[in-house]
Amino acid sequence: MNAGEGTDVADGPGGPRQVGQVGQVGRVVLGALGVLVLGYGLFLLVSRRSFGDLVDAGLWLAGGVLVHDVLLSGLLIALGAAAARWLPGRWRGPLAGGLVVLGSLTLLAVPFLGGFGRANAPDNPTLLDRDYLAGWLLLVALTALGVLLARYRPRR
Amino acid sequence: MTDAGAPAPGRRRLASLRPPREEDFSPRLRSPAVAARVGVALGVCFGLAFLTGLVSHYSQLPDPPVPVPTSPSWGYRVTQGLHVATGIAAIPLLLVKLWTVLPRLFQAMPRGVGPLAVATAERVSVALLVASAIFMLVTGLMNSTQWYPWAFSFRSTHYAVAWVAVGAIVLHVAVKLPVIRTALGADLEDTSQDRVPKTSPTRGVDQEGLSRRGLLTATWTAAGLAVLATAGATVPWLRRVSVLGVRSGDGPQGVPINRTASAAEVDPAAVGEDYRLEVVHGEQSVTLSRADLEAMEQRTEALPIACVEGWSAQGTWSGVRVRDLLDLVGAPAGAAVVVDSLQQRGAFSSTRLPGNFADDPRTLLALGLSGEPLSLDHGYPARIIAPNRPGVLQTKWVHRLEVQA
Repeated sequence: MNAGEGTDVADGPGGPRQVGQVGQVGRVVLGALGVLVLGYGLFLLVSRRSFGDLVDAGLWLAGGVLVHDVLLSGLLIALGAAAARWLPGRWRGPLAGGLVVLGSLTLLAVPFLGGFGRANAPDNPTLLDRDYLAGWLLLVALTALGVLLARYRPRR
Repeated sequence: MTDAGAPAPGRRRLASLRPPREEDFSPRLRSPAVAARVGVALGVCFGLAFLTGLVSHYSQLPDPPVPVPTSPSWGYRVTQGLHVATGIAAIPLLLVKLWTVLPRLFQAMPRGVGPLAVATAERVSVALLVASAIFMLVTGLMNSTQWYPWAFSFRSTHYAVAWVAVGAIVLHVAVKLPVIRTALGADLEDTSQDRVPKTSPTRGVDQEGLSRRGLLTATWTAAGLAVLATAGATVPWLRRVSVLGVRSGDGPQGVPINRTASAAEVDPAAVGEDYRLEVVHGEQSVTLSRADLEAMEQRTEALPIACVEGWSAQGTWSGVRVRDLLDLVGAPAGAAVVVDSLQQRGAFSSTRLPGNFADDPRTLLALGLSGEPLSLDHGYPARIIAPNRPGVLQTKWVHRLEVQA
């Protein structure tokens, strides 16, 4: 990898050269260990699996990246641009913080709100047995409270 | 989450539409100072989830080379609760981490064969890191709710991709170590490692948006709330708080159920009056009805049922000590036992109870739970309950125990 990138930074100001070299060797060993473990994982992934299952796993691996990098990141960039244009300055920080909290909790809540797992176990009343919409609304209310507190907190 | 440096306003905007460039993004929040701090927390979560995941896979080996200890009885419960909790905490951490490094996606590729090859190799390793990390959290979360909209085996694929993710993380840390060390050694507001933005960071938007401190506070809050909102499925005193718990903890006889008798295709006739338990050791064997089992010495043990999907519950089980049953057929100490279930569907209809579990005095062939006869969905007429065992190996509807030679 780009091991050269760090050489200027690794030896901090005035750091002895030997320490830097030991650090470099340590980095290379660590990097090699990472490559080995990663390679073992790829071997596990492609071996002992039917071609169809491998394609399906590949679709889910690539699909996650695409959904994140295109849909989610695109949405966040659009939200950021909209906030920069229309939101009063004092609201931007608190609302951005609220988006971090509620956005990630909402993504986490998708399998619960959808209750998709129940189709897999229709006769099991002990699975997904809460009112998740009420739970999510509670999280929305908590986040809104946090945003308001951050917005109207006394400033120095 | 404000993106300064949006293209110039007005009609020129449409004409100037182009893919974003790295320098379009403000480095105020998207800085190594933030990425390194969130990255450390994320690395700790993935590390703990990986180790506890290995514990689970090892505990499920039928014949582990080094025996899994039977104590503490709550070992599997705690490690797997931690597995799911660290995975859940990693969801907000990963989202914020990826947000802070998004500009790298639009970094210009260098010229020249050598630098291009190095840059391509790094891109590939980061792509594997991002793909595997997202895959682990998405499939793990969906598995905890028993949602499987894919064809591949969850168990073996989640396991294989875990090695990819951890290897890619170790490689990433090795590559970024100088940046990480400098960032963690400097103040959060330090800008010495920041990219140079196209627009001046003194523009109004940048001054009024979320601060670095604010972003970190929001990130830790999100991770903490995510854990609190889900952990009640395994931590009893959090049950009321965990509004996104996969199970409320309720169920027949006060214990939830992972797989019902009908889902496991247990024949109702086979668990009725004609039910018999067979205990076999070579030529010797005994056949016992449920009444015969009830006539034997009854023991009571408080043991957890802890599922790979991350929920768990403590139960008070009563029944016959497995070792007492093995003594009926003269099984030697330390002998392993093959446990057969009446279930016709599912991967665990036949399991192996290693010798140290079969001999542990707490390991029961349970006939009752919470002072009542087992409900059918909890494994009536008889089930295995042993300390420190994965739930899938706590075999229900047991009809045969065969001592291995």
